[in-house]
Amino acid sequence: MTLVGSDGPAPPALAPAPVASVVDLRVHFRSKAGIVHAVDGVSFDIADGETLGLVGETGCGKSVTARSFLRLVPMPPGIQAGGSILFRPHRTCETCSGNGCAVCHESGRVPDACATCEGAGCETCAGSGYLTVDLLEIPEQDLRTIRGNRIAMIFQDPGKALNPALSIRDQLAEVFYQHRSAELLAAAAIDGEAGGPAGTLIRRKAALRSRLLEDALLSLPPLRARRNKLRAAADDRIVAALAETQIPNPRKVMDRYPHELSGGMRQRVMIAQALACDPDLLIADEPTTALDVTVQARILELVRELQSRHRTSVLYISHDLSLVRRVCDRVAVMYAGRIAEVAPAEQIFSDPSHPYTRGLLAAIPATSHERGRLVAISGTVPELINPTPACRFAGRCPFEAPVCRALEPEPKPTRDGHQVACFIHHPPRDAADGVPTFDRQVR
Amino acid sequence: MTAAGDTARPPRGSRDEVVLAVRDLGKYFPIREGALQKVVGHIKAVDGVSFDIAPGQTVGLVGESGCGKTTLGRCVAGLSEPTNGGVYFGLETATKERLDSLLSVTERTASQESELEQLDNRHRVDRMNGDAWRRYRRNCQVVFQESFASLNPRQLVKDIVGRPLRVHREASGSQLTERVVELLAQVGLGRQHLYRFPHQFSGGQRQRISIARALALDPELVILDEPTSALDVSVQAQILNLLHELQQERHLAYLFITHDLSVVRHMADRIVVMYVGRVAEAGPTEVIFDRPQHPYTEALLASSPDVDAHTVDLQALEGAIPDPALPPQGCRFHTRCAVATPTCGWEVDDVVRWLEDVEGTFDTLRGVTRMSPFDAWLSFEDEAAAASLAATLRSEAIPQAMRTALEELTVDARRVRVRFTPVDEVQLTVRGSEHVAACVLDRA
Repeated sequence: MTLVGSDGPAPPALAPAPVASVVDLRVHFRSKAGIVHAVDGVSFDIADGETLGLVGETGCGKSVTARSFLRLVPMPPGIQAGGSILFRPHRTCETCSGNGCAVCHESGRVPDACATCEGAGCETCAGSGYLTVDLLEIPEQDLRTIRGNRIAMIFQDPGKALNPALSIRDQLAEVFYQHRSAELLAAAAIDGEAGGPAGTLIRRKAALRSRLLEDALLSLPPLRARRNKLRAAADDRIVAALAETQIPNPRKVMDRYPHELSGGMRQRVMIAQALACDPDLLIADEPTTALDVTVQARILELVRELQSRHRTSVLYISHDLSLVRRVCDRVAVMYAGRIAEVAPAEQIFSDPSHPYTRGLLAAIPATSHERGRLVAISGTVPELINPTPACRFAGRCPFEAPVCRALEPEPKPTRDGHQVACFIHHPPRDAADGVPTFDRQVR
Repeated sequence: MTAAGDTARPPRGSRDEVVLAVRDLGKYFPIREGALQKVVGHIKAVDGVSFDIAPGQTVGLVGESGCGKTTLGRCVAGLSEPTNGGVYFGLETATKERLDSLLSVTERTASQESELEQLDNRHRVDRMNGDAWRRYRRNCQVVFQESFASLNPRQLVKDIVGRPLRVHREASGSQLTERVVELLAQVGLGRQHLYRFPHQFSGGQRQRISIARALALDPELVILDEPTSALDVSVQAQILNLLHELQQERHLAYLFITHDLSVVRHMADRIVVMYVGRVAEAGPTEVIFDRPQHPYTEALLASSPDVDAHTVDLQALEGAIPDPALPPQGCRFHTRCAVATPTCGWEVDDVVRWLEDVEGTFDTLRGVTRMSPFDAWLSFEDEAAAASLAATLRSEAIPQAMRTALEELTVDARRVRVRFTPVDEVQLTVRGSEHVAACVLDRA
């Protein structure tokens, strides 16, 4: 694995390390009209065990950001224009076996130590002593050991994300064969190190590498018993994974195909698949948008419960602010490829600081609004083709000032845990005449 | 409007007119099986729904997916023909009362029968033909959810919005263009958009084009089938404001179909809550939201996140939506209801619904002999399985209300007889002014 250092100042030894840090991520797309800056300088951290919400309108780049974690953005037409996504794998704390102690800061989990310096702090880990992987740089084979294993993803439409030609059993077995083949062999009491053609065959089967002919050989009497044991071991794990997402009677559901299940059940299967290997980070890309409100409530409850039990960090992507409030600890608001505001979930709702966040919240129909008096954000999302250095929200912002068209605001901290990219909060020093304020409304 | 259009209809907003009356509407889809495609059953997508829409009023239709709200909307729009009952259009209050009294009589005399026939021919949408049908078509327009799928990708905006005017011979040539520009201006678009194709617009703009097309013939009723569910919240706010403005200006009546409760609360005067093809509860918006009488309405409200609420936790609804081909007896919601009573219509199918997820209960089921939905013999492969089912049915695994409703449970070797108290379908009962709910409980 390629190991790279993080750019920031080195944290003190054994301080809780964020499980992932996105640093100045830029993903562009080539199009006929020019280069679309879909994600243009996005930075945020995901702390271990937290749920970070990423909200924004259609086309603001939230899904592209999420897919970049697993390098799922097709290139071309995509262009990796810069930045890095640093991932720090965690494991259960040995001192307290996950119950929470002083060593792991009561979180029950500690980051893996850096392979080069074994925790002492060296150049590859920027002195932090933690194993740090740049997901955008590592070779494809190494990424495959992380995908679905350390970082898992659930998608918006479970009907499309599950393979219609595979039963739920095969769907989930794939995960275990791919990432847990040694454990499976051990559970099936098969000697994983055994030599000879028979040992090789069963090993290849357990690692999902067997070909058609090898499968045929494995179905013959001398090898069949061993193959069946391996299957039984995988089945046990599949049942356990399904049961964890509260699927009733998992042994029966296992043999069904995705089209035989309801939307809510399919989403549960996908969650079971994602959490099968107990990942450090779960990326949920609008997991409940395709579901009914009644089902949505159950899925949210489930994600929240599993998250607290496994202490998995979650990146929760949604366009629905009222949902994000229910599940997230912190919220990052994206607009036109950039971060507008990052804040603890309660602060976003009680005290939105960016004019865009204010506009979004005001647009949700609430009891207090008179009919026909919803506060809509005027105008439309700007084209992201070769944007000029200016605030992306200028043109729609009710508090716009001349400086907003001339300079680009960067997200800067305002107070405890709150970051805002707006000149209202960080007026530039040399533009005293044209500084925006919340008192002066221009439209 | 041309002169012909004005004389064809009484003046707008007259008090003694309902725009639309839906009476006992049913729409069944046949289930066909086998080589001969024999009809083996029906999916009752809509089953006995009644409500009125007054001029200038917005009626919200809410429910989970598959509850029949879109099918109902299609029947109202005349896009599919109802199996039972009907949609009545252009009734005056006196005529509507006469119709209701005729419909409520179970055994009609020959004269009553012919009077009803006459009313049907004049006002029932699926019986209309010729002028009456044309008049209905111009007065009832639809805005669909998928604005991209409902606009012809090969036509210019001018043709899309001008089409209804052309079909109804209202305008042509340069006059048509001017009318289209007028309509576009009303929905916040301009002359520069006339010669563009749908794909050149954003989602919100396309929905505006759909609205402009719906308004072209100055209808009395617009059916809005999830008009904002594909849009972002800031765009949704723009569209909702626009819809409200247009309603104020033109005194439109809306049938607003949606699953988003915050939107319906904002827009609707009256709400109809549907569950598995039937009306669970209907009433004025504030009453439905403040004092819901049906447990399903309560569950829907509890499961939708509200950005205002701070403390109230989401409450999820257990179980899945029942199959509309085999709707539950009694109250259709009893299979998922938190406050179900023994008289809610427990039946033999509930035994399967509750226990099929319990491992090993139904693996050895061989057959079911039904005497009625409430009474059946279940036969198993061996005696142990029969005994275990009987034991489970007496245990805590099934709800208390269901155990109370269980009148007979006999084990006869490999067979088990299960008999519940027969219950009629729960009807809508009056709970307050214009407020009805179909629930056996009265919690007023």
